[in-house]
Amino acid sequence: MDILVFVKRVAATQEEELRIIDDGKNIDLSKIPFKMNDWDNYAVEEAVKIVEDKGGSVTAISIGSGESDEVLRRAIAMGSKDGILIESNETIHDPALRALAIYNFIKKENMQFDAIFTGVQSEDDQFAATGGFLAGKMGLSYASMVIGIDAIENGYFVLRRELEGGLQERIKIKTPCVLSIQSGINEPRYVSIMGIRKASKVERKIMKFNDYAGSGDAVIDLIRWSYPEKKGGATMLTGEVDAQCKELLEILKNKGVY
Amino acid sequence: MGYALIISEVRRGVFEERNLDAIGIANLAGKDAYLLIPEGNYNINGNMVDKIIKVKTEESMFLNPLIITGLITKIMDSSASPEMVIFTHSSSGIEMASYLAGKMGLPIITDISGYEKNGDIFFKSYYSDKVFGQFKKTKESPLILTVRSGSFKDFATDKGKQAEETTVEGLSGIEERSFIEYVEEEKTGVDITKAEFLLSLGRGVGNKDEIPKFEELAQLLKATISGSRPVVDKQWLPKERQVGTSGKTVKPKVYLAMGISGAFQHIAGMKDSECIIAVNKDPEAPIFQYAHYGIVGDANKIRDKLKDIIQGG
Ligand SMILES: Cc1cc2nc3c(=O)[nH]c(=O)nc-3n(C[C@H](O)[C@H](O)[C@H](O)COP(=O)(O)OP(=O)(O)OC[C@H]3O[C@@H](n4cnc5c(N)ncnc54)[C@H](O)[C@@H]3O)c2cc1C
Repeated sequence: MDILVFVKRVAATQEEELRIIDDGKNIDLSKIPFKMNDWDNYAVEEAVKIVEDKGGSVTAISIGSGESDEVLRRAIAMGSKDGILIESNETIHDPALRALAIYNFIKKENMQFDAIFTGVQSEDDQFAATGGFLAGKMGLSYASMVIGIDAIENGYFVLRRELEGGLQERIKIKTPCVLSIQSGINEPRYVSIMGIRKASKVERKIMKFNDYAGSGDAVIDLIRWSYPEKKGGATMLTGEVDAQCKELLEILKNKGVY
Repeated sequence: MGYALIISEVRRGVFEERNLDAIGIANLAGKDAYLLIPEGNYNINGNMVDKIIKVKTEESMFLNPLIITGLITKIMDSSASPEMVIFTHSSSGIEMASYLAGKMGLPIITDISGYEKNGDIFFKSYYSDKVFGQFKKTKESPLILTVRSGSFKDFATDKGKQAEETTVEGLSGIEERSFIEYVEEEKTGVDITKAEFLLSLGRGVGNKDEIPKFEELAQLLKATISGSRPVVDKQWLPKERQVGTSGKTVKPKVYLAMGISGAFQHIAGMKDSECIIAVNKDPEAPIFQYAHYGIVGDANKIRDKLKDIIQGG
């Protein structure tokens, strides 16, 4: 089974201050560390596991700036055969444009595959739409929130997808198809620095996003950034750790739970 | 005035409350609300929408993006095409919305939690609510949306008259993707929904080795341990401990969240707790917006200090 996996390099903002700059036109990511999108890590692992079991190959593909090469190297270190960077120096916010470029890339380069994997969403824009859009555009079968692949049999996946509140549905889906992989489906393997260094020796092709972007027009436009509306907010316990903790215990006592 | 087509979410006979958010944003945007729903005995306030389109089919068809897209495409190709197609930002809503957008080549904006009528601007979360992007569509065409549950339900109001009803022909299964069965999470001994006091752990606690130390604290406090999704994904805690849209919805007396950022999928599962206390080292963490009390600090240090104080008497 040949699998194309789309991976993205994203800013890890969880512990960082994220500032809006240029009168709301941009956000400042200059001091923020980057990493592979968490969901894509699970998608690569799932693809590699399948190929280890059934044969075939995994190709990792990323749309992004030249620095996205680091997520390709990571994907290769995890077991992808090779990597392709579709280089774009601009951030693409519109999932329709992103998916359209992937569609054109696949057609133009005559990419062969049995399945395309993406992560359910990327941590930065959380659109969760690229995989579905691509499948719709290509006329392929699609499933998202894939949390377990139970069987792969001639031309089909039997898999489970997550609904809500612990409920899942089991479905049968025909290949070729697009699957968006949910976090927790597997345990992504550990990647060592040595592994990444070795991966650097594997060839990564570089293509130009603009060659596949068609007219290049996004159909939606991000006009401005804003901070979340403040909702009243919490009463902050301040002072030394000792004082904070004593106050916390007081609150627990008042609430009758401690 | 055009109309918005709302794709309802129904699960095992229940018309989900999150549909109200889709109805709400249709109202806000000044569109008539047409509700697409499988035929069945669902409990719906028919005064909240303008039209109910019942489809002669079973519920599971509404979980299949390929089939639903086929149906919506037919409606959109007819003379009266909707100006918006609205889904819930849920597992199946996201799946169908993105597939439909790709199939029809239409603009899509997902996880909408705010709307500004003046300028037709949609607010969507970036980086788990650290910032929001304000979006507009750039071409004249129907727009596909998924809306965050809880965001617009207050705008789903009684219109004072019963919706018109129509029934359309059934859908048949397809070979490309078929439903086999619902799979229920295994029932185990612990039920975090029954706990009065939850000590909930997020990715910020660092690694698996920290968990036993929190379990010790939980014992001292007589609290039950729960956690966010990443903590369960990494198998630091078992699945039955997960709080959030794809885990459990909890309403304890006290929810003490440590190292949890406050993504909406998490918040949706705990926001109705009587008292929420958050410990996070990032003063801008979104969870502080929902908490009653907060401490900016290192979860592990706070944990150790709490243990010291309790054990020291
Ligand atoms: C379809 C779908 C369903 C989902 N369902 C759920 C669900 O049911 N439940 C759920 O929780 N999530 C769910 N998610 C995931 C959700 O979007 C977030 O990714 C997740 O909630 C983040 O968990 P977290 O807050 O533990 O981690 P992060 O977002 O990584 O946050 C970690 C926090 O810890 C803080 N921190 C770091 N170090 C320390 C320290 N030493 N002391 C104190 N604080 C520290 C950081 O500042 C940060 O705020 C779902 C996602 C999708 C797409």
